Amino acid sequence: SCQNKHRARERRQQAQVEPQNLVGAQAIVGMGEEFPSSLSSCKFSCRTPLDEKAILLVQFLLRKNNLRESITKEDMIKHVIKKHKKHFTEILRKASELMVLAFGIEVKEVNPTTHCYALVSKFQRTSDGRLRGEEIMPKTGLLMTILCVIFMKGNCATEEDVWEVLNVMGIYAGRKHFIHGDPKKLITQDLVQERYLEYRQVPNSDPPRYEFLWGPRAHAETSKMKVLEFLANIHDTVPSAFPSWYEEALRDEEERARARFAAMLRTSALANVHSGGSGRHSFSHLQ
Amino acid sequence: MQGNTRRTGVMTDVHRRFLQLLMTHGVLEECDVKRLQKHCYKVHDCNATIEKLEDFINTINSVLESLYIEIKKGVTEDDGRPIYALVNLATTSVSKMASDFAENELDLFRKALELIIDSDTGFASSTNILNLVDQLKGKKMRKKEAEHVLQKFVQNKWLIEKEGEFTLHGRAILEMDQYIRETYPDAVKVCNICRSLLIQGQSCETCGIRMHLPCVAKYFQSSSEPHCPHCNDYWPHEVPEVFDPEKERETGMSRSNKRPSRSRQH
Repeated sequence: SCQNKHRARERRQQAQVEPQNLVGAQAIVGMGEEFPSSLSSCKFSCRTPLDEKAILLVQFLLRKNNLRESITKEDMIKHVIKKHKKHFTEILRKASELMVLAFGIEVKEVNPTTHCYALVSKFQRTSDGRLRGEEIMPKTGLLMTILCVIFMKGNCATEEDVWEVLNVMGIYAGRKHFIHGDPKKLITQDLVQERYLEYRQVPNSDPPRYEFLWGPRAHAETSKMKVLEFLANIHDTVPSAFPSWYEEALRDEEERARARFAAMLRTSALANVHSGGSGRHSFSHLQ
Repeated sequence: MQGNTRRTGVMTDVHRRFLQLLMTHGVLEECDVKRLQKHCYKVHDCNATIEKLEDFINTINSVLESLYIEIKKGVTEDDGRPIYALVNLATTSVSKMASDFAENELDLFRKALELIIDSDTGFASSTNILNLVDQLKGKKMRKKEAEHVLQKFVQNKWLIEKEGEFTLHGRAILEMDQYIRETYPDAVKVCNICRSLLIQGQSCETCGIRMHLPCVAKYFQSSSEPHCPHCNDYWPHEVPEVFDPEKERETGMSRSNKRPSRSRQH
């Protein structure tokens, strides 16, 4: 099977030398900020070996992109450019242009003495260097789950309670998660900072233990009934299937309705003050 | 998905931002991909109608095509979730990991890959992989180190670990499909329904044909008595449910309920 592997590799390398349906790097580079897709269906091939190297370099840079490590000229020559190292500058230039046009990523030289480069997104970054949008991943599902646990535990859940549930979902305190990254930091810091959760020490606990409550933003953006609906949905049932929680959620709904009504009354009372008895005319002398 | 007459639009910063974010995650499920797409439109204050996801991705792929890269869509082998990953089509797949891993680490991956492909269940035990540590090319690696390297593969989404055994991550299957077929033409298994590479699945006890779990789910969806599509013998395994994205929306908890036991059903 070792021979098969070699043969397979040879076949593949040959295929690379005879590309079909390709666009010359110059053609791509010649376009402005936008890529008309019709260009990609050009049937001619004007690739030079340097173009091929530039493409390999792009692939190499993309892999390095995620590591956020800087890349050295030495790295690039060793892994990609190899015998074409005399043309390093030209290959890098082509690759850089491709990176910007296809990905919006710039290749910047950070240290001219050591020939060290870094990849920088041309899009705005948040203060901790992350791209806006990285945090939109579904912590919503996770957040709802935690709010659910808190609600079910009488509006206050210990940290142990929460981890018990998260562990069932395959989310662990010590382990980096596929979507949620560092779960401990997410739930004890990030979501707290965003005021979705409150995280506090259990009073008089020694050694210190912690508990979670709904934060003000959770109260504002969702409700006990919504959270119960979320739970019911998972179990393929309806909120009233959980009688005691349903009762509590109903009371919460009533309170919210009362609060909204009161707010409406306040607003219309103010409106009455302005309009007085004579309708619109009273405004003019106020302005 | 990659026909010659596909409709493609113009690549803009919305697409580029999407690409950057997809790359950060490596591989994403379809629901997250859609969310990401919506977000990218929003961030660029784009009032344009959000392109249908398939068209959106085709637009990107038509540009990436000349770089030998594409966004590929696949399906997780255990529960049929659609996933998307940016894959490199050009080089031999193990060497594409080359700049991230040392020579002995790459060789460890190759050994694990071989065990996985040769296995009946699509899983290779940690013990069996670690026993091959002495045969690795490059610097000598101890078993303790090798355990750590295997975890690195899991974190980088090349392998999945379940109860001390390893199989290929959906992303690895997407990227290495061709490489695996070419390198292990005799050992490789293929699904009888979709004809794609098969690592985990169910097999007929009579004639030996194999099917992916999501393919089994779809194929036997409306039959009360499933029969092997090849030899017509009674299909002895439990038929899983077809993945329903509507049911899964916004329910992070549901993954725990639907967590399937590993399919040791070969």
